[in-house]
Amino acid sequence: MMHKIKQFKAKWEVSLVIFLIMEIILFGMMNPRFLKIKVLLNSANDFVTVAIIALFMTFVIITGGIDISMGSVVGLSSVVMGLLWQELGFNIWMALVIAIIVGAICGAFNGYLIAFVGVQAMVATLGTSFLYAGASLVIIGFSGISAAEGIGGFPDSFRELGHGNLGGIPSSLLIFAFLIIVAYLLLHKTTYGRRVYLTGINRKAAEFSGINTKLIILSAHMLVGMGAAISGMYITSYLSSSRADHGATLTLSVITAVVLGGTAITGGEGSIIGTALASVIIGLMTLGLQMAGLSTQYVGIGIGILLVVSVAIKSYFSGGKVFSKIKRRFLPEKS
Amino acid sequence: MLIIKKIFEKREITALAFLVILFLGVGLRNPDFMNAQSITTVLKGSVLYIFLAIGMTFVLLTGGIDVSVGGTLGIAAAVSATMIRGGTSVPVAIVVAILIGLLIGLMNGVGVAIVKVPAIIMTLGMLGIIRGVMIVYTDGKWVENLPDAFKMASQANFAHVNIYFILAIITTILVQFYFSKARTGKYFAAIGDNLEGSILVGIPAKKMIVIAYVLSGLCASIAGVIFASQVGFVTSNTGVDIEMVAIAACVLGGVSLSGGVGSVVGSSIGALIMTAINSALIFLKVPSFWNKSIQGTLLILIVVSDVLIHKYFEEKARKQRLSARAQCLDKSVEDSKDSKDAHISTESTFVGGNGQ
Repeated sequence: MMHKIKQFKAKWEVSLVIFLIMEIILFGMMNPRFLKIKVLLNSANDFVTVAIIALFMTFVIITGGIDISMGSVVGLSSVVMGLLWQELGFNIWMALVIAIIVGAICGAFNGYLIAFVGVQAMVATLGTSFLYAGASLVIIGFSGISAAEGIGGFPDSFRELGHGNLGGIPSSLLIFAFLIIVAYLLLHKTTYGRRVYLTGINRKAAEFSGINTKLIILSAHMLVGMGAAISGMYITSYLSSSRADHGATLTLSVITAVVLGGTAITGGEGSIIGTALASVIIGLMTLGLQMAGLSTQYVGIGIGILLVVSVAIKSYFSGGKVFSKIKRRFLPEKS
Repeated sequence: MLIIKKIFEKREITALAFLVILFLGVGLRNPDFMNAQSITTVLKGSVLYIFLAIGMTFVLLTGGIDVSVGGTLGIAAAVSATMIRGGTSVPVAIVVAILIGLLIGLMNGVGVAIVKVPAIIMTLGMLGIIRGVMIVYTDGKWVENLPDAFKMASQANFAHVNIYFILAIITTILVQFYFSKARTGKYFAAIGDNLEGSILVGIPAKKMIVIAYVLSGLCASIAGVIFASQVGFVTSNTGVDIEMVAIAACVLGGVSLSGGVGSVVGSSIGALIMTAINSALIFLKVPSFWNKSIQGTLLILIVVSDVLIHKYFEEKARKQRLSARAQCLDKSVEDSKDSKDAHISTESTFVGGNGQ
């Protein structure tokens, strides 16, 4: 049984790779410019914001929770950093570190509400998403910055974070690769990671085997908060402006990336590699649709279909009823 | 203590009390808030949210969630507005909008109940799809210049109360009667409370879940038409984030997101509260950028206090049960000393189990 599940999981990642290759070939046929190495490498600039959050969101969804406040945390961290730098005269890197700490605190508050107070993850993060988005609006309102323009004019050294490259590889890809390694080691190679899985598979059993599941859940949410803040820093640097609405539209893409990557929304199952592959798939799809001449708005349709279809396929593998009925009807010999 | 417990269990009453306190408190600071005009504004503004909350209540009761209602509202508003502007008669446009809502709801329901896609995933994906389709349909442009007759309908009054608000109230009352009196009305909460159990007692769970999502889509599309009529134009951002307000309204009104608990009256009061807060802030001369954080803080406070109160009473009941059990254990020890038979102790357990 265990072997079978393992095989299936490996298959899911393999099928993601196949899907990715097919996607590249397809978009390459539609627009040959898509296949240029430079274009492919630079496409990371656009999807890395989603990918960073998705990597850490994998932890939360594996524990069986969900976090829909991360979009607000992206905006809040961006605003906090801009404010510290411009209005309070902090060093830019100092401001960046504080903004990431703010993200961690936001995540920790989510985790506290969920794990220690016992509020449902969905409700708690719904409330905090209002709260964090509101907080960034309040900060903007008090400092008298125009909400539409945001804070701009960052020093070049900070802009390098989003625009620089190392040996031709854009910084976004380097950040992405580094965070994949960190998240991979944390989830798959440490006891902490095993505890995250066990908490998601059976929280009571985990509790009885001496795992402090409350702390595990809190820390997982903290990781998402930090991920969202890092993503906020990247997007602030890339667009050279800190605004409250930077992360407003990320929720759908992030959750799609995690779920398409093979993480079960009910918890206990998932992998970092899968999430990373899925993020790339979504990112390239966005780019490809744009290069094929469709406007950005169509991308939502694509991502939505991808999300629903991928979960429906997973439901097929785990014995969803419709499919097994259809299978029985059409393939009576095999069953 | 029992009375307090009863009051807290009837969330509609606490929500209503909160609404009254909100009006009185703000009215004390600024008497203008209490006059008929501002109250009318609040009532008018809440109609949208009441309809969304009614639909959402069906879904939440079954233990699901529907985050696609904002999209449904947007596309229903855009389609009906475009048709009415193009000269189609209003009833036809409304029927088309409602059909769209029903179709979206049906797809959600089939996805959740039969294909077994988790509700949040199914409706989130659907939201992305609908938003995209809406932009394609409107070409990213605003739908403006709606005929005056259609816009004026939102100003019509009946006995000094806005006619849409009366419609919302009547719908709420009818749905509440359906939930509390009709046989099938109780199915929704039963499914959310215990899915397997409800299937075992013969409730057609799948059918009812599909119906819940269809009704949610229906309510959202009605809200969309009302939006077009009230606002008079439809932007490509219509309905963005409105699903969050609708869910928050339901939670404020005592609907549990884990299903099985809640009433539609509560959700409607929650919707009123969400609208009243916004206009209360205007009357308190609080800058509008505070709105979101205050709504969020309020939502968190209410949910947290809900959980804590629930925990407190549960703990209390547990302690009572334990002490009753301990008492009867003592008693049974004494009883055995007195060489009496054990059935007294079972009797006292029974009494203790009822919470003495």
